[in-house]
Order: sequence, then C-alpha cells, then structure tokens
Amino acid sequence: MKGALIPVLLLVAWEAGSRAGVLPMDSFSRPSDIAVAFARGIGDGTILLATWQTFEAALSGFACAAIAGILCGAILGLSPRIERVVGPSIDALRPIPSVALIPLALLLFGFGLTMEASVVAFACFWPIVLMTTAAVRGIEPRLPDVARSLELSFISQMKKIILPAALGRITVGLRLALAISLVVAVTVEIVLNPRGLGYSMIGAQQALRSDIMYAELLWLGVVGWLLNYVLRKIL
Amino acid sequence: MSFGQRAVLSDVSFEVAAGEFLCVVGPSGCGKTTLLRLLAGLLPLSAGEIRVDGQPVRGPSRERAIVFQDYSKALLPWLTVAGNVALSLEACQIAEPMRTTRVEELLGKMGLQNAARQYPSQLSGGMQQRVQIARALAQEPKLLLMDEPFGALDAITRQGLQDEVTRLAAEERTTVVFITHDLEEAIYLGDQVIVLAANPGRIAEKIAVEIPRPRSQLETREDRRFLAYRHRLFGLLQR
Repeated sequence: MKGALIPVLLLVAWEAGSRAGVLPMDSFSRPSDIAVAFARGIGDGTILLATWQTFEAALSGFACAAIAGILCGAILGLSPRIERVVGPSIDALRPIPSVALIPLALLLFGFGLTMEASVVAFACFWPIVLMTTAAVRGIEPRLPDVARSLELSFISQMKKIILPAALGRITVGLRLALAISLVVAVTVEIVLNPRGLGYSMIGAQQALRSDIMYAELLWLGVVGWLLNYVLRKIL
Repeated sequence: MSFGQRAVLSDVSFEVAAGEFLCVVGPSGCGKTTLLRLLAGLLPLSAGEIRVDGQPVRGPSRERAIVFQDYSKALLPWLTVAGNVALSLEACQIAEPMRTTRVEELLGKMGLQNAARQYPSQLSGGMQQRVQIARALAQEPKLLLMDEPFGALDAITRQGLQDEVTRLAAEERTTVVFITHDLEEAIYLGDQVIVLAANPGRIAEKIAVEIPRPRSQLETREDRRFLAYRHRLFGLLQR
C-alpha cells in the first residue's frame, strides 16, 4: 500500500497541474482524460484487438525462438566439436540489432504477422540459445554417465536427464527472451507494421490524441508486468 | 590404458569369477576409478581387452551397473527416491504396473520404504547411497561396479551398508567389483583383493581372502587371518 503513495501523488499533481494550465495539454493529457480514453478503447474493443495482435506476434516469435533455441543450444552444449564450427558464426550474427532486420523481414514477408514474428524470433533466439548451451554444458558430469550406463536412447537421455538437469538456467534464458519479445514486437509496430499496440500508439500520437497514447502506454506496462508474472508462476 | 602420453594403467590383468566379490584397493591416483570406468564401458580402452561372459566390452551396458562415490551428484535431484529407481526400470523397459511393484520391492530391500516420496537432497548421505544402490540393483546387473561407494560415509553407516551389500550380492548372485582405498574394507568384503600400485597403475598383489562367510564386523575384523592379510597388504600400500 505504501508503494502506491508516489504514483497517486504524481497523478494528483499531474491532474491539478494540467487543470491549472501549467502543463501543456498536447503532450500531457489529464489523467482523467486518459482514463476516459482507456475506458472507451476497452469498450469499443480497439485496445483489446491491438493487444491481441501485439501478443500474437510476440508470443509466436518467442515460441519459434524457444523451440529452435533450446534445440540448437542442446546440440551445441553437448558437442564441443559442433560448437567450435558454429560458435564463430553465432558470435558474428548475434550483435546485429534485431530491429535492423525490419527492412529485410519486410522484403521477405511483407506487412503483417509473419514479418513481425520473424523479427521477434531473431531477437529472442540468442539469449535462449546461449543460456541453453551454457546450461547443458554446465550440468553435473556424473549425470551423462548415469544416462549412458542405463543405455538410454539419445532422445530419452535428452528428455529424462539432460534437459531437466539444465531446466533452471534454460528458464532464465526464456524469461529474458520473453521480455525482449514484447519490446521488439512493439518496436516493429511503431516503426512500420500497421497492427498492434505500437501502431495504435504512433497513430494516436500523430493524430495529437495524447490521451489515447498515454492510455495505451500504461496498458502496455500492465500487460508486460502480467506476462512476466504469469511466466514466473508457470516456469 | 593411457591418457595422451601419460600411462594410467599398464599391465593390469585379472579375472573375476561369476558371483565373486572382487575388491580393488590402492593409493589415490593409482587409476582405480579409471579401471572401473573402463569396466563400465564409459571410457574406451587405449590397449588391451575386457571381456564379460566372453564378450568384449565396447560401451556401457545395463548388465553392468555402477554405483558412484559421489551419490549426491549421481542421483537426479528433480526426481523422488522412487522416481530415481523407476528411471532405471524404465530404461530396462519394465512397464507399469510391474514397475511400481518392483520399485516398492527394491526400496523395501534397501530400507527406504519411508523415503519413497522424498527428494535426494532431503536424505542423509547414507540414505542417498542406498538409493543409488537400489537404482543399480533395479537393472538386475550381472556385474555390479562400485567406486568407493562408502568413502564419504561415517563409520557406522559404512559398516551397515557393507553388510547389506554383501548380503544382497550373495542373494542375487551378482558379481561385484568394488573399488576402495580402505584396506580393511577390501579384506572384509572381498573374496579376492587386488592391490594396485601407482605410476603407472599396475597390480602389486592379488590375494584370495579365505575367511568364511557370513562375516561379522566384530569377529571377522579380529580374526587371525584377517589381521594376517592386513599385515601383508599394508606394507604394499606404504611403498
């Protein structure tokens, strides 16, 4: 409860400031106007639709990255020989800022979900593959001995021993990637993809509707927090 | 056996009869664990040959179960005691409901029936080592390989487990190769004791222990023959 003190005071000061004409209306909408804009956006479904579009892209990109990243990471972690061959290429590709791939993704896929998800997947892939490689390499060396002496097949070694043993650190990679996925999805929408919350926000800004822009910004904070919360619960 | 240029074991040649309890004792760094890993098939041989029932060893096999010294690292921490034992049965393609029955039976045998739902980290060292032994026995191995299994346990727990392992090995007619650095343990448990010398690891002495079974912690260890073996082998470990 004490943590709410500062936000509440700020809101009150903000409302009072803009009513007194101290704050410029075009960049600082009144909190009351923002609340109205938010209620309207929820009521007519625009915010919910945009949220769904953003999440659809963020989560599908994240899911592709998770599958590919865990698979590649497990292989790289298990085989130092493959790692020596592939490692330098990874180090070369990894520093490319994912948003720099937006023009390429647009050329390949055109506007829409696929293009956005592909950029998200590129961004999410690296933390997952790096964490999985390190996690698999770092598991207790006794465990592969146990797996081998039980003559488990490669698949069941992975499923029953290697991946569960590495799960803790893989989860860290997944959490990092999930946070990145939302950032990148919104970025792609703000830059050019005509869908989702990012596009809606940039539209509101250009139409000088800062009340809508603020409403969506705060909403994005809430859903981002929720996403992290849910992930913390399930992983 | 050598790692690169360094010879770890050289000219180590011995036979173990079916159902025999062989103890290998030697100073640290003499290649005891390497020898065991070779027998398990976890390490490839650089020279020579290992045969089990006439078949050369080419890799790990479920017929050869291993009990590692570091029990806390060899158990799967995310599985319960029952889960750890069940994994071994699963690997042997034993399906439910048979698997559950076997797990209960094995846990009962190792005195773990009350710990079935606990996780390894909740158990004492001795109990964890019991879980590892139960997991190894679940494989119904022809050959049980034990790498200093009681080295990290307190004296009382160790003596209890020594007697249980000998009893179980006799019941199941399992052949055991038991690595230890404890000379008395080797004589107490073994039908045959091999003493290794270091640099490179080689056989310093091979003796047959002719003390009748069942042996007892008190009387056997005070037995004239026991002391004679101890005297004879003690000198070898000092050199």
